[in-house]
Amino acid sequence: MPTSSATPDNPLREGLLSRSVPEPCSLVIFGATGDLNHRKLIPALYNLAADGNLPPSISVVGFARREKTDEQFRTELETAARKFSRQKINDELWSNFASSIFYHRSEFNDLSGYESLARRLDELDAQRGTRGNRLFYLSVGPDQFPIILENLRKSGLNKANDGSWARVIVEKPFGTDLPSAIELNSTVREVFNEADTYRIDHYLGKETAQNIMVLRFANAIFEQLWNARYVHHVQITASEPLGVGGRAGYYDKSGAMRDMVQNHLLQLLTLTAMEPPTDLSADAIRDEKVKVLRSLRRISGADVAKYTVRAQYTAGSVNGEDVLGYLQEENMPAGSQTETYVALEVNVDNWRWAGVPFFIRVGKRLPKGATEIALHFKSVPPVLFHQTGQTIDDNVLVIRIQPDEGVSLRMSAKLPGSSLRIEPVKMDFHYGTSFGKATPEAYERLLLDAMAGDATLFARRDEVEEAWKFVDAIRAAWDSGEGGPLATYSAGTWGPDEADALVNRSGATWRRL
Amino acid sequence: MSTDLVLSPGLPVEIGRIEKELGKLWEESGDSKTRASLINLAIYTESAEAVAKNTDLIAQIASEHACRAILIYANRTAPERGAKAWINAHCHAAGKREICSEQITFQLDGDSPSALTNVVFAHLDSDLPLCLWWQAPFPDHVDSRLWSWIDRLIFDSNMWAEPTKQFARVRQFANTRTVLCDLNWTRLLSLRQGLAQFFDNACALPCLCEIDRVEITHAPGSRISALLLLGWLASQLDWKLDSVLGRHSFRASDQREVAFELIEKPGAIISECRLTAGPAKFCLERDKGQEFFHARMEGGPFEAKSQLLPAHRGRITDTLLVELGRGGKHPLYAKALDLIEPLIP
Repeated sequence: MPTSSATPDNPLREGLLSRSVPEPCSLVIFGATGDLNHRKLIPALYNLAADGNLPPSISVVGFARREKTDEQFRTELETAARKFSRQKINDELWSNFASSIFYHRSEFNDLSGYESLARRLDELDAQRGTRGNRLFYLSVGPDQFPIILENLRKSGLNKANDGSWARVIVEKPFGTDLPSAIELNSTVREVFNEADTYRIDHYLGKETAQNIMVLRFANAIFEQLWNARYVHHVQITASEPLGVGGRAGYYDKSGAMRDMVQNHLLQLLTLTAMEPPTDLSADAIRDEKVKVLRSLRRISGADVAKYTVRAQYTAGSVNGEDVLGYLQEENMPAGSQTETYVALEVNVDNWRWAGVPFFIRVGKRLPKGATEIALHFKSVPPVLFHQTGQTIDDNVLVIRIQPDEGVSLRMSAKLPGSSLRIEPVKMDFHYGTSFGKATPEAYERLLLDAMAGDATLFARRDEVEEAWKFVDAIRAAWDSGEGGPLATYSAGTWGPDEADALVNRSGATWRRL
Repeated sequence: MSTDLVLSPGLPVEIGRIEKELGKLWEESGDSKTRASLINLAIYTESAEAVAKNTDLIAQIASEHACRAILIYANRTAPERGAKAWINAHCHAAGKREICSEQITFQLDGDSPSALTNVVFAHLDSDLPLCLWWQAPFPDHVDSRLWSWIDRLIFDSNMWAEPTKQFARVRQFANTRTVLCDLNWTRLLSLRQGLAQFFDNACALPCLCEIDRVEITHAPGSRISALLLLGWLASQLDWKLDSVLGRHSFRASDQREVAFELIEKPGAIISECRLTAGPAKFCLERDKGQEFFHARMEGGPFEAKSQLLPAHRGRITDTLLVELGRGGKHPLYAKALDLIEPLIP
């Protein structure tokens, strides 16, 4: 993936693998007292500082409603960083980093809070040399986006002075359907240019997601087979053993389709199915991903019952512990029809993938957590070993996104002995085994990219809207009852029987993970 | 002084049975251990004492960079030729399993270059790159069959007693496919990154063309490190060495003189590097044992800044891990070396 450089003419950068540090800037985090900031953003920023990747002048300004001082805020964040940072906290470095952290209390809907923020950022620019560069991170629920954006506009914070920049990072969900996404995108666009808008999908910041392109386009052996001629079907799975936990309010309105499929799963699908981009620029890559989304055969009306399965977990057992069903979770509306599991058969109607089903499944309260992409290759012609009554398993190439990141290839081998017996064996590459050191967290890469103005790993407006078009058609049928009833599955199982039937009719079975 | 190994670096095995014995090692471990390898890491030493240290180092390297390690102790002064071998494995926990790297240790008695070539050829993990760390002075003549197989030749110019002679020998590999990896150069990486970072600042960038003085403070015995850093600056900024009456300085392309001073002082290998460009000053400073540089820039057409930047940790294990983790060629190393060659003691 490309990196941008603040000063490409710096001759001392030649040959250094580390990228140029971004220009000095102020990072304003809305919703700074929230979980994301404590668990992900601040540890990511600390790790960037520890690796020498942050600019010498940076101000991190937390914007939230609760009353607290800079010092209280720093103390809270230190506790979080010590708990969640991938690198051990060095006291001297933390102290140095913490001196760049500030807290600004305001209601999101109070314009005067933004005006005082503007004044404070100007002061920090003067004190700390952050040069008027601003990066606004909306780490808040989507219902807060419009008011925050509107107040950023009214207070003039969206406008950068000459030679400076103002950017915004938007956390998912990017809307709840196509109209709301268009509306949100329009709201954002009224305030920030598309080029200054960074829609974060943390899956794209994961090393293994970035490795998909390397695996495909830096290895001659795979790309030759990466098409309908050799691939029977593709399975993309994102399973998790957790239930909705304390997120009942959000999750029940969202469901698995909006929460996972519209963004993470379709992003993985586009990286798997896309054509080689013309270069590694952000737009060249995103152009190819959008083409895939446009090639997805729309599933609507009566087809929804045929090509989709939605389900909700009931009580069961996960990791040896009895767990409640979805409807029994705390604060859950009675009779909720929200899906916690989705299985889809998706067809990519283009030259490369015609006739190859992409099966997607995502679910909560499944037996274990795993995200992976599996390419199942077609069978060998049944003319040789089959005559001896042998069953030969198909080759499967698996890209494990998390956990235990890596790549494996299943192939057939002869069992030692005088008789001919063929069994599947697996060639397995584990990142953790080969590269023992901890890889950077997705948010480290994404924050750095946004500061440096590199949008490659962020979703573009048309990507988001194309994904919603695809998802909305399915949801419409589900909501109208045309898409079939909501199935159920016991917590701790791999989903409903209907999902098995979905893949079985194509001669496939879900992978055992 | 060369001698027999006092401490055994593993299980003694017949040389002809090494692969079989390694196989047994894995069979006996059941499914609990996974053998992993990214590279062949061969280490050549002529010091018996270094074998234990290297075994310890390999164990640490293997936990982050799985490899097949081939440790060769050449007991060249032994009166009779002979060879002995040991095998062992370095394992570390990874979830429920253990990930293991193999180490094969050889003691080669007597002066036999062909034996060295053979043990390396015969015990490589196929299709993986060969990194050879040469911990002794380079010989006058090398076995081209062996050296042509080396993907990365690792050495540490900070350890050389006769650097001029050794650099000349290293240069015979300059035009081959072998990548020269001077750990002394690798140690400078964080310094180079820190210095480069000053000039990522667009307001500071023009100062690069105005540098008129470089001061580098180095530990006793680390003058080569300081020279390599100086050579890197000179080659990247297009300075040419100028000598007048035995006094050396650099001359920039605009004929500006760039004075330099190398100051010896106990402490980190490079404890300070200070660049002066008229009134502008750029300084990286590090106290011994500190993990960070204090980076300061002031006095120029930019806001004065100070920052903590990560510094090289100083342990040889860390240096080797950085080198193995970086990959790629080091074209700037040869350029830097060219410029400082007349200054090498």
